[in-house]
Order: sequence, then structure tokens, then C-alpha cells
Amino acid sequence: MPELAPVAFYLGVVAYSAASTVFFLELWRRDPEKQAGVFGPRLLMLGAAIHAVHVVAASVLSRVCPVESLHFGLSLTALGAVVAYLLLRGRFRLHALGAIVAPLALTFLIGAQFVSTERADAELPRGLLAFHIAANLIGLGVFLVAGGSSALYVLVERRLRQKKLGLSPASSRLPPLEALDRAAHRLLLAGFPLLTLGVVTGAVFTQRVGEAGNVAVFRTVLGYATWGLLATVLLLRQIIGLRGRRAAYGTLAGVACVLLVLLVYAVRGGAA
Amino acid sequence: MIVVVGLSHHTAPIGVREAIALPAEAVPVLLRELCETSVVGEALIVSTCNRVELVAAGKSIDADLTRVAEACAAALCQRAPKIREHLYRHAGGAAVRHLFRVAASLDSLVLGEPQILGQLKQAYDVAREERALGPILNRTLPRAIRVAKRVRTETSIGSGQVSVPSVAVDLARQIFGEFTGRFVMLVGSGEMAETAAKQLRGAGARVVVVGRNLERAEEVARSVDGEGRPWSALGATLAEADVVITSTSATGYVIDYDTVAAARKKRRGQSQFLIDLAVPRDIDPRVEKLDGVYLYNVDDLTAQVKESLSARSREAERAEAIVVNEALGYDRWADAEQATPTIIALRARIRGALDVELSRSLRGRLKHLGEEDRGALLKMVEASVNRVLHGPTLRLRQAATARSPEALSLDQLAAALGELFDLSQGGAMADDADMPVDDEPLPSGPETSQIEAEPPAAGAAATPSKRRAHSEAP
Repeated sequence: MPELAPVAFYLGVVAYSAASTVFFLELWRRDPEKQAGVFGPRLLMLGAAIHAVHVVAASVLSRVCPVESLHFGLSLTALGAVVAYLLLRGRFRLHALGAIVAPLALTFLIGAQFVSTERADAELPRGLLAFHIAANLIGLGVFLVAGGSSALYVLVERRLRQKKLGLSPASSRLPPLEALDRAAHRLLLAGFPLLTLGVVTGAVFTQRVGEAGNVAVFRTVLGYATWGLLATVLLLRQIIGLRGRRAAYGTLAGVACVLLVLLVYAVRGGAA
Repeated sequence: MIVVVGLSHHTAPIGVREAIALPAEAVPVLLRELCETSVVGEALIVSTCNRVELVAAGKSIDADLTRVAEACAAALCQRAPKIREHLYRHAGGAAVRHLFRVAASLDSLVLGEPQILGQLKQAYDVAREERALGPILNRTLPRAIRVAKRVRTETSIGSGQVSVPSVAVDLARQIFGEFTGRFVMLVGSGEMAETAAKQLRGAGARVVVVGRNLERAEEVARSVDGEGRPWSALGATLAEADVVITSTSATGYVIDYDTVAAARKKRRGQSQFLIDLAVPRDIDPRVEKLDGVYLYNVDDLTAQVKESLSARSREAERAEAIVVNEALGYDRWADAEQATPTIIALRARIRGALDVELSRSLRGRLKHLGEEDRGALLKMVEASVNRVLHGPTLRLRQAATARSPEALSLDQLAAALGELFDLSQGGAMADDADMPVDDEPLPSGPETSQIEAEPPAAGAAATPSKRRAHSEAP
């Protein structure tokens, strides 16, 4: 068991790196008639499986429940993003999004190594804490894919407006605009309840621990603002039919806020 | 080794191409006719709207290609005598290069179009079904297909669309993905607009034609398998339409900014793709500023077509280099094949002599040997032949491909071997004739059977004097 965790980590890095390379190469492949390849998603799937083994082995080794530590939390976020992508890829023709999700998973997997594996807060009830972190991290994983979809939407839409779409071999590999918009919407809908649960449980913790530090206040306010921003995007989509570029910018802003909350949390090591 | 005889859009106008157009059912008939002639051993027919070509090989590896080409030309001219002056004939290396260029779509009317490869594969299948293929075309065609795939993979010769309607449909696909359930509005009529509408209809979209003249709109609608609507329904239809194609002869805008803005509100932010193919323009260009509205006029689309064509032309140079490289590889293989008759004859000669001696021994001093030992002895003889002939085989193939004037030529080596081993007699050695022939034939091993199945052509083994033609036949 002690060797399994590092071996799985390195294998996961190799699989995610290979998947990233394949997705990028496919994007610039010359033959326009060729269908989307299967190697990228398969490598990503393999990477996710190895990644899961790594998380389980490493958490058993360090005797920490994966969802109680930021280290494993970051790792699980990447795993969540990969799983969300693999589930939605076929339905929304999001194959090219793999070129964003695979490097993202790789970054999170490696980045998590620099974060402590200790439990987030020993004084809080473990069950509720696990629920809080799990909801936030799975939500974050889903939001990351939504953010990737929206970023790709902005890119494709800009090329379409500049009349440059179709001028490079990569154009035909990019997902259709409507599919990107729809996928971002569905992912926001899926991630929002999780974010809501995270915010609610976070509020309970803040009250119980009696946090009063500036960072804690900032993080809490930012959490509420993020929730409010994403709720507004979803509401506008529903009420006035907000779609396209503006919706993509809204989603990107929301995902950026979610990442900022995570960053603040990581900087404070989850202690404040 | 092979010839290509035919005509294409380069050499024949459409009237001539029509005269020789081969319907699918005529292809097997012509293939059979060709293979029944005394000179054509293998054949394949590529018949498209832009070309009719016969690819053929002779009955043997060193067949007279001029005669093969003449037989092919005669078969074509018999069907349409007026095509004779439009026919081109390529033989040997030139034919191979031509075939590779055709497969790679470098000889197509639209450079880089993908259909020709499918048509070539289909021609190959038909020829195979008709048993019109042999060792030469069975090696050449797969190689041509491989060259085409290599060209498409390693160059961007097939990238981009090269017609305005195709570019428009491609862009629509970039926005909407699938067209099933999508709504297309065609305003006015025009060849390009109707072609684009037909393509979208074919992809599953619903098409509505709106025109000032309802009768004319319905007529156009019938041609695109759509529905006609009166001019008064323009605003309401616009709100439903995902793709709008306009091509009217109006002098002013028929779809203004306010109409599109109103439609956009009703569409609740759904994307709308407007394709203005009219000159003067039909759609107010300011609509481009609206979120979710994408407007392309004929200049935008033409610019993409030009860019695609120019990109393909640039890529064609790289593709030509691949074709030349592959054709050289084919030449080397084909040259090496020139040594095959000599190798087969030499092998048969040595194996035959050993078989005679072995048979004698097995009836004499070795007659006590059991089946197993006899089998082992046969295997040993076979292995010995392989070992002895390995060097000479390599040397002969090297001589066949050697370009250096100092090196011994295949002709010289083949002549020497023929003289030394009396290969022209094909069977037993001259001195074997003096020996008593009281032997039963040995049981044939797999390689023995192969040798017997491929007897060397008389004279060919000794001197492969008819080298392959490397230039176009007259």
C-alpha cells in the first residue's frame, strides 16, 4: 500500500499528460474528414481511474478521509471535472473540451501535492465537514467544466464574428456554439445545488466556530457573492432567455469567483 | 508494369465525357471484355462524372505495355469512337504517378475533394468481384489508396470548403451542430441559396421559402422539399428561423435591423445565422451588432472559399512531393520484381535437381527411412535451398534496382545464370537427361507446390530484356 499511492500518482500524471497531448494534437489534425478520436477520452478515463486509486490509497495511508482535507479535495475536484466531462462529452459533442479538462485535471492533481493532507478543522463535526467539503468540491469540478465550455464558447463566437471560423483545420474540431451554451447551462444547473449546500453548511460552521477574522469574513462574503452571481445567471437564463456570449461571461465570472474562494481557503490552509 | 488509359476534365469537354460515361452495370461487362483479350491480364475501371480511366496490367510482369494500352484504348473507342483524340495513355512509372495523383485528389476538378478516393475504392471492389485483379493491381491499388490517405493526413489538402453554399452550411453547423429540427428560411431564389437550402434540408432541417410572389415561392419550395409562405409572413417566419438565407433582386434591404431585433426578442436569445447571398445586400449589416446574430454576406463566404482554395494549392505542392516519393518507392518495388522470374527459375532448377537426387537415394540406400525421417530430409533440402539461394536472391533484386552504370545489370546476371544453370529449359538440368528416369515424383511440400504453380515464362527467366517503360506511351 505505501508504494501504491506514489505509483498511482505518477501513472495518473502520465495518463493525463498523454490525454492532454492527444486532445491538442487532434485539435490541429489536418484531415477534416476524420472523426473525433477515441484515444483522448480513453486516456482521460484511464487517468481518472488511476487518479481515484491514488486518492483512496493516499488517504488510507495518511488516515484522512478524502473529503476532509484540501489536498484530497483539490484532487477530487479534478476527478469530478473529468467525470462530468466524460459523461457530457457524447451528448453535447464536447470532444474538443477535453483539451481544457485534461490539462486542468493534470494541474489539480499535481497542484494538490503542494497542499497539506491534514484534516481541515479538527474541531468541527466530521460528518458535516465531509458533507460541506464534498458538496463544494464536486460542485467546483462541475463548474470547472462549465467554465471550460463558456471559455470555448467565447473563443468560437469571437472567431465567428471575426469571420475567421472555418479558416483553420482546428475550426471543424471545435464544438458547435449551441452545444457549448447548452452544456454550460446544464452544468451550472447541476453544480448550483451543490454550491448552495456548501454555502449553507459553511454558514453553519462559521457560526459554530465563531470565526471573526478578516479573511474568514471575506471568504464568507465572497461565497455568498458567488452564489448570488451564479443564481442571477441561472435566473436570467430562465426569465429573459439570457444566452450566448453574455451568459458565457456570467458563467466565467461565477467560476472565477468559485476559484477565488478556493484560493482564499487554500492560502489560509483551511484554518480560518 | 501498369497502364492508365482514359480521359478526364483536363482533356475532354463534357460533351465527350458524356459519350463515354459508363453506367454501373457497364463496368463489369467492360472488365470482362478487357480480361478476355490476349494482352490484358488485370484491369480496373474508374468512372466518375469527371473521368473515365482504365487501369490495366498485362498477362505477365514483362508484358508489352504499349499493346496493353492499345487494347484498353480500343475497348473505350469501340464504345465511343469520337473520344480517341481526347484519350491519354500513361505507362509504367508515369501511370503509377498518375494513379497516385488521382487517388490523392491532385488531378481532381476541385483540388482535395474527398469523393475520388471513395470512387477508387469502389472501382477496386468491383474489379475484385469480377476477378479482374491480379498480383500487380492488387499491389498497386492498395498502395494508391495508402498514398491518398497519407496525403490527407500529412497535408491540409482537404481542409476548408470550396463552394459558397458549402461554406455557409459548414458555418451553420459550427453554430447549431445538428440540423434535425432546425428551421431554415429562404428568402427569394437563386442557385447558391437553393443549393445551400437543399444541403440543410438533406441534413434534416425544415425549409420554408418566403417570396413576394407566392406562386414562385412555392415552386422554389417544391424544388428544395420545403414549404412556401407569402411575403406578409416574413417577420413571423424570421422569428422561427435558425438559419436565414436571402437571395432576392431587391435594391434595398428586405430584412432591416428592427425586424431582426424584434425577432431576436421572440427567440429568447437563441442564435440566428443570417446568410445574405444577394448583391445589392438584402440584410441590414447593422444586425451584426445584435447578440447571438451572425451575419455573413457573399463577400465573407467568397473570402473563405478563396482562402480554402489557396490553402489547398499551397498544400498541393507538399502532396505532390509525397506522391513522387511514394512513386519512387513503387518503382523500386517494381524493379525488384523484375528479378522474380529469374529467382523462381533458379529455385526451381536447384530444387528439381535436389529432388531427383533425393528421390534416388530414398529408393536406394535410404529406403529404410520411415515417414518421419523422410519428412525431416525434405525439410532439410528445403532449408538448404533457401540458404544457398538467399544471397543470389538478394543480389538479383539489388541488381534489378541498381542505377549505377558500374554495377552488373539484372540482364547480365540473369543471362549468366541462364547460361550456367541452363534456365531456359525450365525443368531438369541438361545432364539430367542422360540419367535414368525411374523415379517417382517426391511428395510436394508447400514451397514446391508454389514453384510448380508459377512456372517461369519461357525466356523471361534467362533474360528479362523487356524493362519497364518509365515514360508515357505514345
